[in-house]
Amino acid sequence: MYGWIWRHLPGNVWLKALLSIVLTLAVVYVLFQYVFPWAEPLLPFNDVTVNDQ
Amino acid sequence: MRVIVRTVSELCITVGTLIVLFVVYVLFWTGVKADTEMDRQVDLLQDQWARQPVRPTSAAGTTASPKPPAPYKDAKPFALMYIPRLGFTWNKPVLEGTRTSTLKKGLGHYANTAQLGQKGNFAVAGHRRTYGDPFKDFPKLRAGDAVVLTDGAHWYTYVIDKGPYRTLPADVQVIDPVPKKSGYTRAGRYLTLTTCDPEWGHSHRLIVWGHLESTKPVESGKPEALRR
Repeated sequence: MYGWIWRHLPGNVWLKALLSIVLTLAVVYVLFQYVFPWAEPLLPFNDVTVNDQ
Repeated sequence: MRVIVRTVSELCITVGTLIVLFVVYVLFWTGVKADTEMDRQVDLLQDQWARQPVRPTSAAGTTASPKPPAPYKDAKPFALMYIPRLGFTWNKPVLEGTRTSTLKKGLGHYANTAQLGQKGNFAVAGHRRTYGDPFKDFPKLRAGDAVVLTDGAHWYTYVIDKGPYRTLPADVQVIDPVPKKSGYTRAGRYLTLTTCDPEWGHSHRLIVWGHLESTKPVESGKPEALRR
């Protein structure tokens, strides 16, 4: 999987490394900004009320 | 064969990294976000209070309650809470409503319960863990502890009467005007705080109850409980 991505990135090794870092950061950003906020309420830490309003 | 093994191991590493990132998000990032958001809510409140016209002071030190305030706006902050037992600098904004999105920004006042300082039960919920851990030290609360609130015009000092009481999530009676298990028998001006128990779970709720001890205008300075 990662080998496939690496082979398909353009440029020389340095450009590939740079692109991989950018890609990783983008994935982390999407996770923190969209995926985790969606997943987090499914965990029990949010239930602090007595009537589930 | 090698391709399969490689792909499976890559998947495992990816899932592991995801889990670690999620833990970082829940334990650390929600706290950072909540602290920023709570600071913003406190700023909002202070802006709002700074723009209020100065009202003529009523007789200082009276315990008569001020006029009922206007209904609180949903998901908007309307008061600041101080609990010296949870730390001398502990103060959090109180917002109207207890929706999940509201509780990410501060403590939540149960809609349909009494307003601050009014007759009935002023009930507030807060996170025990995650989102800034506002009620992390909830079990340390004891009878006699002060819970001070201000709405910009008055200081309301509530005193806790009954320490952490453990109950089930469906026990809505704990926020009744006169909660059954609290030991109160007559109508009065009460305070209820709720959070989850155990710390990271959701099987139970922890409750404390208190009564309004004194109300005084902000012009007369901080209440006793907040003076060092």
